[in-house]
Amino acid sequence: MAEEKNEATAVPGDGAAEPKRTERGGISRRGLFIGVGSTVALLGLGGLRYAGHNPVNRPPGGTDEAHLVSGCIRCERCYEACPRKVIVPAKIEDGLLGMRSPMLDFNTGNYCDFCYEENGGNPMCVAVCPTEALELPASYTVGNPETGETGDIIIGTAEIDPRTCLAYRLTGCRDCYDACKYGAIELKDEGGANPIPYVIEDRCNGCGACQAVCLSLSSGSIKSSERAIVVRPIQA
Amino acid sequence: MKTKNLRTLIAAAVFGVMTIGLVAGVSTGTLSGFGWDTIAALCPLGALGTMIATKTMIPRAVISLVIMAALVLLVGRAFCAWLCPTTLIYRIRDYFRSPKKRKALAEQKNAEIKAISQQELDGLKPAKDGSTAHACGACGKCQPLKHGKLDSRHAVLGGALLSTAVFGFPVFCLVCPVGLTFATVLVLWRAFSAGDATIGIVLIPAMLIIEIVFLRKWCTRFCPLSALMNLVGRFSRTFVPTINDEKCLETAKGASCSKCAEVCQFDINLRHPDFGELTMADCTRCRACVDACPTRAITMPLLAGKKAKGTVVEADPALEDLEPKLD
Repeated sequence: MAEEKNEATAVPGDGAAEPKRTERGGISRRGLFIGVGSTVALLGLGGLRYAGHNPVNRPPGGTDEAHLVSGCIRCERCYEACPRKVIVPAKIEDGLLGMRSPMLDFNTGNYCDFCYEENGGNPMCVAVCPTEALELPASYTVGNPETGETGDIIIGTAEIDPRTCLAYRLTGCRDCYDACKYGAIELKDEGGANPIPYVIEDRCNGCGACQAVCLSLSSGSIKSSERAIVVRPIQA
Repeated sequence: MKTKNLRTLIAAAVFGVMTIGLVAGVSTGTLSGFGWDTIAALCPLGALGTMIATKTMIPRAVISLVIMAALVLLVGRAFCAWLCPTTLIYRIRDYFRSPKKRKALAEQKNAEIKAISQQELDGLKPAKDGSTAHACGACGKCQPLKHGKLDSRHAVLGGALLSTAVFGFPVFCLVCPVGLTFATVLVLWRAFSAGDATIGIVLIPAMLIIEIVFLRKWCTRFCPLSALMNLVGRFSRTFVPTINDEKCLETAKGASCSKCAEVCQFDINLRHPDFGELTMADCTRCRACVDACPTRAITMPLLAGKKAKGTVVEADPALEDLEPKLD
């Protein structure tokens, strides 16, 4: 029945260019071009691994740089999980390889306490990381702000720039000293008129409390791109 | 409400909730790693990539892969039509097209599809000697369903995994349009909320636009995620759009229509599968064909009939009766 209707309504083709069937399994020129082009592009992108990027402060469990770069799929869950919102996406300026991977920004005015207060010392960024790019050893102790114990998760080490530090200008500023919970900052001439802070590197775990409170950029007319005390990432 | 609008609404709502979660710090995750607290459903490509790069089995990645495979088996590439934020970008792009250009594109597509339909109908017309010019095959009803083997997307997928294996990090994640969409929101939010100026504000959306707008047909020709879903989707037998040939204009009346092929955003030709750039393995269950069919001949049954059963047609007397008799 259908056939008869076909006969009745169908008109013969006029010989114009006929639509072609899509060849399945065969490789079209376009397919080859896209496939080869994309593979080359992705291999080129992979070469960024050798270009590397500027070292940045990583969240707890992310200090093994090679492991972090291998594991991170940029799902952005750690940014959300951080109760203090100090985890931010790394910028392109620090290198394409690390772009959008997690880093700690203490200039936000907050710092990392390894979730001691919020989650009993189990960093939440590590807990939510679905790919284990942020990973801590089976047993570890985190910095304890109550006892002043440094812990064995080290983000980086604080460094004071004497050229921009307000205390070196004899202003009596000791905000970083007051902020440090681990006794990693001590004062020269403590009790004197002009105490000057310095870092005890062995006791510093890079929590960033000192950088978070540093006033050097916000008060005084200091020309610098960073605060007078900054946490430098440990070099893996 | 038209399904197309419903899809846009759902994709926009999901994207909205996730981006609000992202800026407000509510742990919902993004589409790359959706979940709550320590539960996460990972992007399958990300899960594969991270395991290849670190050369370790990651429990959450393996579980995610299994869940995603099960979902694709059930509803094919539904993610692409209902959730993927690139769908939203495509709609925005369409919105900005001039009515003239929109009309021209629609007419071009219509002409292409009509030509295929007409050619196939002509083929059914018996030649002078009484034999048909070709078997009734092209309508796809009475011939084995071919699921194409591999196409350019699979090459992109292979390239992405190869690069990941060689260089040891999930390379595609750097340029994934889904990730870049969320990154765009985040980088803009940070620019306004924290005064965080970076060239990423320009570069991240630029990469996204290059992929989605300038690489023509990203979803059909490039997207490795779509390639991955295609590999599982070809085994899906549920909710596959099926034409009732007794109602279809082409089989019942011999009139060229192929509206279903015309509206398919993912380049599938439901009526004449041989002519679609993609096959039913890539069906996103978007319901565009169901909505567009003038005779409502297309349904999406829970279980597909014999047509979709593998690549070999098995004799099934019950279904045989439904087929047009075209000897």
